[in-house]
Amino acid sequence: MVKTHLIKRSPLRVLEEATHGGPGRGALAVLASPKGVGKTACLVHIATDKLFQSKPVIHVSYASRVDYIITWYEDIFKEIAKNRRLRDAVAVHDEIIKNRVIMNFNQDGMKTEQVLRSLEAMITGGKFNADAIIVDGYNFGLAEPSDLAKFKAFALRMNLELWFSASLKENGTPLYGPNGTPVLLAPHMGEIDVLITLQAKGDVVEIRVVKDHGHPAAGILPLKLDPKTLLIASEK
Amino acid sequence: MTTTIEQMRNIGISAHIDSGKTTLTERILFYSGKIHRIHEVKGKDGVGATMDHMDLERERGITITSAATHVEWGGCSINIIDTPGHVDFTIEVERSLRVLDGAVLVLCSVGGVQSQTITVDRQLRRYNVPRIAFINKCDRVGANPLKVRDQLEEKLKHNSVLMQIPIGLEDQHKGVVDLVEMKAVYFDGRDGEDIRVEEIPEELRAEASQRRNDLLDAASMFSDELTEAILEDRITSDLIHEGVRRGTIARKLTPVFMGSAYKNKGVQTMLDGIVRYLPNPAEVENVAIDLDAEEEADQNVVLTMDPNAPAVLLAFKLEDGPYGQLTYIRIYQGRVEKGTELVNSRSRQKTKVGRLIRMHADHMEDISSADSGDIAALFGIDCASGDTFTAPELNYSMTSIYVPEPVISLAIKPSDKKALDRMAKALNRFTKEDPTFRTFVDHESHETIIQGMGELHLDVYVERMKREYDAEVETGKPQVAYREAITQKAEFDYTHKKQTGGAGQYGRVIGYVEPLAEGVYEFVDEVRGGRIPREFIPSCDKGFKAVVKKGDLIGFPVTGVRIVLTDGQYHDVDSSDNAFQAAARGAFRQVYRKAKPQILEPVMKVSVEGPTEFAGAVFGSINQRRGIIVSSVEDGNFSRVDAEVPLSEMFGYSMQLRSLTQGKAEFTMEFLKYGRVPAAVAEELQKQHLEKKAAEAK
Repeated sequence: MVKTHLIKRSPLRVLEEATHGGPGRGALAVLASPKGVGKTACLVHIATDKLFQSKPVIHVSYASRVDYIITWYEDIFKEIAKNRRLRDAVAVHDEIIKNRVIMNFNQDGMKTEQVLRSLEAMITGGKFNADAIIVDGYNFGLAEPSDLAKFKAFALRMNLELWFSASLKENGTPLYGPNGTPVLLAPHMGEIDVLITLQAKGDVVEIRVVKDHGHPAAGILPLKLDPKTLLIASEK
Repeated sequence: MTTTIEQMRNIGISAHIDSGKTTLTERILFYSGKIHRIHEVKGKDGVGATMDHMDLERERGITITSAATHVEWGGCSINIIDTPGHVDFTIEVERSLRVLDGAVLVLCSVGGVQSQTITVDRQLRRYNVPRIAFINKCDRVGANPLKVRDQLEEKLKHNSVLMQIPIGLEDQHKGVVDLVEMKAVYFDGRDGEDIRVEEIPEELRAEASQRRNDLLDAASMFSDELTEAILEDRITSDLIHEGVRRGTIARKLTPVFMGSAYKNKGVQTMLDGIVRYLPNPAEVENVAIDLDAEEEADQNVVLTMDPNAPAVLLAFKLEDGPYGQLTYIRIYQGRVEKGTELVNSRSRQKTKVGRLIRMHADHMEDISSADSGDIAALFGIDCASGDTFTAPELNYSMTSIYVPEPVISLAIKPSDKKALDRMAKALNRFTKEDPTFRTFVDHESHETIIQGMGELHLDVYVERMKREYDAEVETGKPQVAYREAITQKAEFDYTHKKQTGGAGQYGRVIGYVEPLAEGVYEFVDEVRGGRIPREFIPSCDKGFKAVVKKGDLIGFPVTGVRIVLTDGQYHDVDSSDNAFQAAARGAFRQVYRKAKPQILEPVMKVSVEGPTEFAGAVFGSINQRRGIIVSSVEDGNFSRVDAEVPLSEMFGYSMQLRSLTQGKAEFTMEFLKYGRVPAAVAEELQKQHLEKKAAEAK
């Protein structure tokens, strides 16, 4: 398969359709699930899909080390290339990684302002015209709503899409509120434009749209997370 | 002093540049009584540290060549191999590492683990060298040895254990607490030579006892005796030493020492650590390759320490002294004496040992013999560095040291006739000393070209020519070693025919070329039925080999090409070796453009470290140089940027970085891969190549 077909037939198009074209520039999206369900894999898949479209992506990580994240990208790319029998995989790979930068922050004592300052330095100083920023390992438990508001303002000002992952911790109390909104994220819902949750149901992981800009949310999507490859796949 | 093998240590001092390695070495020589005065590296007294025996090193305040020097401490005989700290000279570092049994990893208590530390540590790991750590510069403002120790764990993944804690830091740094003996150690006298042992100061007792428990935990992992002793409350210092020693030699534990070499603190206690915890040569397995072995499985031979076994030794370093060539050797097996007969396993040349020398920092001592495990030097032996010598009955080679291909070249021109001779002499010497330094004469421009691993690498040799050989040379612009490579399969069918009276020339070759993923050049003969006679097949190979040396795009070597010869034609009378060589050359020229050739350039892995406030400037500077930022890591106010940047764009980067960051950031680079040159740059290179050719044709 050549690259253009691969983009067109990506199961991520289903996700986009279900959220009215995806989060879009200036919007903030959150992917939430308990630990170990596959958030990072999903985010890397979403980022890789953008890279295939020649859209530059900054991957911000608060917890994991850089080499660990690079391994994620390598693995996800290999799975996609294998699954879709991508032609010239090596050349495509070399081409797309030029559009990816990984930035690692130590969240203890790392203020949102400083992170945003560094991101701006990368975009303006480094002339890295990012289309999207992926933020993995952000601790929503420690975050103030004003922190997320700063990120949102940054996304609007720089005209780019922001994706966060949120790790939901099991501590005896219910994870989700009545409408499917994770309790952890309730204080931040004002800033979140698109919210998607992953929930393990037996062998499958359900993907559910909980918030879709101002539109009624689509609910459970005809997508699943393949437990072997951790890729988002159509349910057929 | 006669030493048994248990009393021998071969160690290196590995460190980031500027972490005070040379000062530390200097102090070691002083305390062990090898020198009688202390000089500073950037010597105000105009003398310079003793180990830096080259003028140039003295001037730049860095150590470039690795000299082996011999000291005695605590009843042990220690050979110290001074390794250079700059990445441009890694071949020197790697060659020294090959002969070490242990190393001291020097860290700066302010700067901590930096990218060069990581490089050096990786090299030590590659050669399985056990190490102890010395956290230096505890007297500096901002010193924090405990944080550096944490970095050892986080960044270098060492399982480290504190052997000491500091008594005071920065200008209050007075000494260390020895956690084994639970005593405070102070260093008195003008040069810290008088050691005073006292009770631990009140305010440090709680911390010391907690840290000692950590030490006991760590050491007991490697010693059941110690574990039992802890349970039965009969711990002795020797049991702790033994546990730490086992862990260190197994490369599972890194004991951490600290102090300030500059302020004469903690050096002697670290020397005790070398003697106690680093292995003697018998505790390290050394393997040679038996060149006579037929089966690959039988090739590796484990060497024995028996002094009566046939000798095996490695020449790891050459130096030009006032009395001729001095060859540093490490003896891996047997004994070397005056008159011992040896064979160079590369050239099979026989030689007899004449003068055998032990090197001290400032003088040499004649010795009558040296046994396996030891390091010594020979006079009057003709060899290249990295050569193995053995007793005549053996044909062994010590594993070859990985030699990277040079990535940069420079044209040099002697300023006059006299300089020409001297330059030739110098080049001959340098290429023998350093396999990553190469030289040749370009047949077209008649220029002498030198090649190496980086700008600084070549600079140093040009300087050395001037200083040591009095050869003034003019240098051209540094030139990056480009490559050309084909990207697709293409077929050829080429006839070379010449009829000019007398014997004609005739040869026809048919086949195809295709990219070769791994390797440089491959020739495959698939001609059946004698369409090309046997005797002319090597002629074709030779012709192809000659023509790929200079690609058609910009005149650089074509790499990664497989040439398959499938068919051809010959003429009974007119076919010849020459005719088929010419046919091969013609065929390649015919097919080359069809195979969509491209230009490749060396791409370097560049790491920049510095305060976060300059991150934007650093990102910009990399972007400007066609670099790709792979990642950036921020930890507090400190940031590190990893990028891939073409070597051709890296010229002058150190200057730019200095001015962008007020000298607060630094960078390292090493060769990563050959990458494709972007179209616009390729066009420019081709244009320059054509202009050069046109100019030469005039």
